[in-house]
Amino acid sequence: MKVPMKWLKEYVDIKLPAEEYASRMVMTGTAVEGVEKTGEQFDKVVVGYVESCVDHPNSDHLHICMVDVGEAEPLQIVCGAPNVHAGMRVAAALDGAHLPGGVKIKKGKMRGEVSMGMLCSGPELDVPAGLYPHIGDEGIIEIFEDVKPGTDVKEVFGLGDDIVDFEILANRPDCLSVWGLARESSAVLQEHFVVPEIAVEEEGKGTFDDYARVEVLDDEACPRYCARVITDVKIGPSPKWMREYLYGAGVRPINNIVDITNFVMLETGHPMHAFDLSKVKEQTIVVRRARPGEHLTTLDGKEHVLDETMLVIADKQNATGLAGIMGGEESEIVSDTASVLFECAAFERANNRVTARKLGVRTEASGRFEKGVCPDTAMEALERACMLVNMLECGKVVPGAFDHYPNPKPPVEIEAEVERIRRRIGVDVPAEDMEDILNRLYIDTTLVDGRLLHCEVPAFRQDMETEADVSEEVLRMYGYDHIPSTLMNGVTMAGRRNPVNAFGDRVKEALVGMGLYEALNYSFISPKWIDALGLDQDDPRRRAVTLRNPLGEDTSVMRTSLVPSMLNTVAGNLNRGNASGALFELSKVFVPAEKAGDLPTEKNALCLSAFGEDVDFYTVKNIVVWLLAKFGVTAQIEAAGDGYYHPGRKAVLTANGVKLATLGEVHPDVAERFDIKGRVYLAEVDLDALMPLEQDFYGVKPLPKFPAVSRDIAVVVDEKIGAGTMMDAIRRAAAKTLEDVKLFDIYRGEKLGKERKSVAYAITLRAPDRTLTDEEINGTMEKVLKALKEFGAELRA
Amino acid sequence: MEKMLREMRERVMQNIKEARATANLEQIRVAALGKKGELTALLRGMGKLPPEERPKMGQLVNDVRAALETELEKRAAELAEKEKAARLAAETIDVTLPGPERSAGSLHPMNIALRKMVDIFVGMGYEEVVGPEVEYDHYNFELLNVPKNHPARDAQDTFYVEDNIVLRSQTSPVQARIMTTRKPPIRIISPGRVYRADEADATHSPVFHQMEGLVIDENITMGDLKGTLDEFARQMYGEGIQTRFRPSFFPFTEPSAEVDLTCANCKGAGCRMCKGTGWIEVLGAGMVNPRVLEMCGIDSHKYSGFAFGMGVERIALLKYNIPNLRYLYENDLRFLTQYR
Repeated sequence: MKVPMKWLKEYVDIKLPAEEYASRMVMTGTAVEGVEKTGEQFDKVVVGYVESCVDHPNSDHLHICMVDVGEAEPLQIVCGAPNVHAGMRVAAALDGAHLPGGVKIKKGKMRGEVSMGMLCSGPELDVPAGLYPHIGDEGIIEIFEDVKPGTDVKEVFGLGDDIVDFEILANRPDCLSVWGLARESSAVLQEHFVVPEIAVEEEGKGTFDDYARVEVLDDEACPRYCARVITDVKIGPSPKWMREYLYGAGVRPINNIVDITNFVMLETGHPMHAFDLSKVKEQTIVVRRARPGEHLTTLDGKEHVLDETMLVIADKQNATGLAGIMGGEESEIVSDTASVLFECAAFERANNRVTARKLGVRTEASGRFEKGVCPDTAMEALERACMLVNMLECGKVVPGAFDHYPNPKPPVEIEAEVERIRRRIGVDVPAEDMEDILNRLYIDTTLVDGRLLHCEVPAFRQDMETEADVSEEVLRMYGYDHIPSTLMNGVTMAGRRNPVNAFGDRVKEALVGMGLYEALNYSFISPKWIDALGLDQDDPRRRAVTLRNPLGEDTSVMRTSLVPSMLNTVAGNLNRGNASGALFELSKVFVPAEKAGDLPTEKNALCLSAFGEDVDFYTVKNIVVWLLAKFGVTAQIEAAGDGYYHPGRKAVLTANGVKLATLGEVHPDVAERFDIKGRVYLAEVDLDALMPLEQDFYGVKPLPKFPAVSRDIAVVVDEKIGAGTMMDAIRRAAAKTLEDVKLFDIYRGEKLGKERKSVAYAITLRAPDRTLTDEEINGTMEKVLKALKEFGAELRA
Repeated sequence: MEKMLREMRERVMQNIKEARATANLEQIRVAALGKKGELTALLRGMGKLPPEERPKMGQLVNDVRAALETELEKRAAELAEKEKAARLAAETIDVTLPGPERSAGSLHPMNIALRKMVDIFVGMGYEEVVGPEVEYDHYNFELLNVPKNHPARDAQDTFYVEDNIVLRSQTSPVQARIMTTRKPPIRIISPGRVYRADEADATHSPVFHQMEGLVIDENITMGDLKGTLDEFARQMYGEGIQTRFRPSFFPFTEPSAEVDLTCANCKGAGCRMCKGTGWIEVLGAGMVNPRVLEMCGIDSHKYSGFAFGMGVERIALLKYNIPNLRYLYENDLRFLTQYR
């Protein structure tokens, strides 16, 4: 909320410069976005008096003026405006002046005549017509006030004030007003806070009821409704001081009646509405819920279809405005409005908020009602508006007011223990200081027995309900800088990592050790990305948790797989010229719940990828095998996997029948859909499946005491038999005395026949308790050969 | 014969001297001292000598053999030394030649920061706990004193999945889950992903990470909160870094504070990063609102506590001088490979 310092100073004495004042407010809990000045858009523009004005000898439209700008000699200024004439007061930009849009004024010659500055128009100074009435006229600004030449025009226009931009937090709607902020400032600065005494001069015939009727049909959504009637209205501009304050607060001045409603809203925090009473059918205002499907066109020309939860302002037949949000077109104040009904009401905040959200209409008023407008002070605000009508002499206030307030809120009283407050805040604030601070905040407080604070909370402090609230008030005014730096002395707690996160970190460390970089992607993706994987129609990954209000379709479903984001990451890197790399992401994937109202299942997944010249299938295979080995897991590998992998280059890794990982080269069709040219290798690891298999101690084998023997074996076998599969078979066959088996050669040649290959293994055998005999060794090798023969293998000659 | 011996000794000695490689020496040795060598032949010829001369001659032959062997050994050692030197010289390589390329690998900078944060608090006796990212409104808002249609919800534009299910907008629901299931004393941290409907820009991301902390026990004060965060600041950014508490408002804490840290860039002197103030806003904190304790079934007369929440990305940005939050989610290897 933007507030001109001058306006604040009407009610509280602020001696500090604006910046210093702002920082005092910040340190006591009223946040400030910044401090700026109005009229910063120009400088060195002063009031000038045109002493003489003659035609320029070399031009048919320029004039040469002698202008008194308060200096010893008048200045010669050439001016082309049609309305310039001797005897007028003007806004003269002097040599060196800066104007909006980066314009700089310099003395010079115009068609041979010296010109020492420029006479300005309204647009040239970017001063709106609402702020200074003669600014919108044709040609240069004419200043009618009798001000001395040389005076800064900012004074004339009401510019140059400091504007403090407060950021009011959700718990202090009372500070969304000049009075509220002045009151808060008075407590902070320990200065007096003075509000004008409310006194309305009533005149005119009859009373309120003779002019208008109000029916409030919903006390819940409209806890209070106050109204007054003004007759003999004379619409015109409001006075300069009011325009200046409104402009400074960022509100465009319009006319006296509308300006009064805006002024009162800013000053008291109560949104008001002014109806042209003659346009209200049967002069009756009905506050009720909308009828289902009821139509309404608001002031901004938009048509809305309403439902029965929405509160409307209606005449006898139709809704004419959205209560507390926006009025209707029909009863708008216009230049010939003669009688006005002022509304100052309190609407229930949740209802207001829901309606504004549903219809997508948010206004200054609705924002305030959402945050909470205090019903107790509504009448005071309305009276303030009527006082201003008196002051501006723009109408007659009809005697009597309408006030519907069936259920006033009882005042809140809080008993707060001094000792408990001290314990909570950790600062030994003297009890008398607490009492003083609370009273300064207009919380009527008495200290009982030096240990109990009895607080009567004023109505405008709707946020204060408990002792904890009192403790905050005490501490923020006493000063947060008094909080000592201590550490709790209670039970010692054993700190520990979360096992799942710690496991994830071990996985990451292993991968980082293998040279991979960690990536982070959004948890939501485009459903098109899941489509791009080409999964079967009934694949569970096609069912994703869907957001109701995503930022866009591209981020509308929760990931069921990390693969699409990873492919997108790889594509992004390739596009940026990063030709090779290895990346991983460890994150959650989300499986929707079977039943509505249940939370989805969140699974820990790992996806890694490698791409570039030196990378192939075995690069990612090795990464995964090594990773599993690091956790003490040996997996079986078979050629299988999802359809988004290359059909001949994919594998599934399992351990004890549990699927742990899938890996392979990305299918070229899928790569193309992600805009990837070239080969990319992927692996996916199910961390939830891997974690329980982790062994943090595998047991130590004693170092061997007896010698090992090595035997090589080479077999010829069908091409489609996996070399690794046979290796597993060797391991099983020689299990008892096997120490190691290594593949050392694969050979293909015409002699072997088509689709045949020779595979050679080096087998190391050893027994822990004896030297193996030849018999034993030969027996084992026979078992090995027998096992290999089951694959159709023949011993290579 | 003696003459022949002497002559042979001189000749072989000369050959040994002139030998240029250990292999030559071996040839010389075989030719002179081998089974079929000269000396053996001479020895055989000794049978023709009169017996009284034999011992003297035998002695002489042995002397020659010993002398030659010594010389051979000496020369062999010399040559071996020379040859080793030559071999080592020949093995000289260009040590400035870069080795095969090896990718260093790294955690993501956000996680580097987060790991450090977690370690600091685990060291202070906190237990790390986790909760779901897709969460009930009840835990994300209601138990934290933010009822439906409360304007405080505006501060966190929330993604909805169902009427009562949201993508958690903060890590605080984990607090609520812990408070409803455990008894004090409680001392936990909870890091994780959170979601807000903000368009991505230099300082916002719809997905980011927070770390939440919660302590509940008897006699916990706001001073303990400050002491804890002071310790965190020192460990995270170094000695001399202080905290500054500013009054603020959060529905689940009372009193609440925005906490600034001494700008680590200028050490508080004022610079562009801290807009000349010397302070950087880093986290929100406060004393747990007694109403929240009561809603979660904890006796607010007996127990008090504090809570804090910090944005991990923001801390990483400050710690590693990252100019734009978007860098963190673009996964450009030119950025990621700058971390170790």
